[in-house]
Amino acid sequence: MGEGTDMGNEFEGRWTRYYIYAGAAFFSFFVLLPLYVLIIIALGAPNQTVAAYYPALLPTKFTLSNFINAFRGTGILLESAFLKSLETAFIVAVIAILLGYHAAFGLSKLPFKISSLIIGVLFFSTMIPSITIAIPISETFLRLGLYDSSLGLALAQELLVLPLTIFILSGTLDAVPKQLEQQARVDGASFIRALYQVIFPLAVPGIVSAFLLSWLMSWDEFTFAIILSPVHPTLPILIYLDASARGNVLTAASFSLLVTIPVIVLTIILSKFIRAGYLTSGITG
Amino acid sequence: MTKWRDSWTAYLMILPAVIYVLYLAFYPAVDAVYQSFYALHGGLTLYNYDFVNSIFGKSPIYNTFVVTASALALQFAVALILASLLSKPFKGRAAFSALFLIPFGVATIVTGVIFHNIFSTYGGYANSFLRVIGMHPVNWTGSYITSLFVLILADSWKNTPIVTLILLAGMTSISPNLYNQAMVDGAGIFQRFFRITLPNLKGFIAIALMIRGISEFNIFAMALLLYPYQLLTTMTYSLYDTVNAHPAYAGGTILLAFVLIFAAIIMTYRGKYGRGY
Repeated sequence: MGEGTDMGNEFEGRWTRYYIYAGAAFFSFFVLLPLYVLIIIALGAPNQTVAAYYPALLPTKFTLSNFINAFRGTGILLESAFLKSLETAFIVAVIAILLGYHAAFGLSKLPFKISSLIIGVLFFSTMIPSITIAIPISETFLRLGLYDSSLGLALAQELLVLPLTIFILSGTLDAVPKQLEQQARVDGASFIRALYQVIFPLAVPGIVSAFLLSWLMSWDEFTFAIILSPVHPTLPILIYLDASARGNVLTAASFSLLVTIPVIVLTIILSKFIRAGYLTSGITG
Repeated sequence: MTKWRDSWTAYLMILPAVIYVLYLAFYPAVDAVYQSFYALHGGLTLYNYDFVNSIFGKSPIYNTFVVTASALALQFAVALILASLLSKPFKGRAAFSALFLIPFGVATIVTGVIFHNIFSTYGGYANSFLRVIGMHPVNWTGSYITSLFVLILADSWKNTPIVTLILLAGMTSISPNLYNQAMVDGAGIFQRFFRITLPNLKGFIAIALMIRGISEFNIFAMALLLYPYQLLTTMTYSLYDTVNAHPAYAGGTILLAFVLIFAAIIMTYRGKYGRGY
């Protein structure tokens, strides 16, 4: 479509643009509305939000006391949950890159039939419901002393992240010109040196986005966290407990805002890198 | 010689990832299925399934189907519109794409907490809004239909961005010439959508269905917060007990079976229609 060449097309183009902006505005409203509700609960005066029978749609009084009370009430719990989430997400992302980079490189060297078989196995693993395997894993971890530890939780969450990381990095490695590696080999570089010194620098953008995506997925993860680490919970589990069993809605909202801010920043950074190709490459081969 | 050694190095590099997945995903899954046929004291039995059935009946299975189907319908309808919007060139498209992606990053549990506050029967924002426009408040968790509505709304808010991304990738892969030709032939916007966009999207729709459908069967955190009825996941979780995990294994096995059947259906569909790209 683009720029119209005659009057009729010009007219239609303008109307199409109006519809596009109207639609975009409409959906933006629904995307932002829940975030607005989160912000006013976390920052509004309680008598206008959770303590009101009909909370104000446009509150007028704002306060930081919800945050201060949330921290004062559960300071140590929050700190340990925050550290646990941070630590777990970091381990998940590091393992994902370590295993994923090598696996993606290895896959790029194998004949198509074998590599697609292996990718099929990896993809199949992502279909297995977390809750189905979390229970046997919890029994194994109890035996191994990994139950309730950051490392154990990270090892389980890795299952959700690793196949995706391999798909992303396979896509990245495919984009690296084949001649570069061949040239390095001709110049006498070994397989291993080609891997770390020639290819790695070129794959950095893909590695960074895979790292951030893995980090993000672990930061959000709930099912494994609640089964494998219930005693020393991660942030999502802490929020769940505050919102449900403990009934501290304000604390839950404050923590939710705290969890959400870094993640929104990350998502906007990632929006340049997240492409559907990452999600679909595993299936399209 | 070097070629032979290279391919062994390649296998060695893949091995850790494959062993990892086999040991921590496939083995526990097989173990869960196996254990579900054993009771705490005694041999091969269907006792766990009878037990689960006697407590919960068939309703968790039915509820899981209803939630999955309605959430997928809502997400695909909205994502098709959003992807069509974003596939057109207009000023500010990049900004809108980033904005529409935001819910993807918001944690599932945070989404649950937000929608819990919006749809509380007492002190919820939805009822506040209804009062402002002069309507009666609704007891959102009081009926099957309204609880379903709240759950799929929350779930779709969070997950539509992924569907949009995939469908958008599909739409940008369709040649603009097809549309130009259709316009020359006088096809209207709806005709173009049903005759060109949808048929060319089939493969991508299958992929999005696969990814979302499987997660939809696994909807858990949000259901714990928002949905007063049992799904297969929340049922399995409520059966979970470290002393006797066998009934929970039965729940997990039923869930696994449904996910695999769903995946097989989508794969068949993709095999039929999805070769076009």
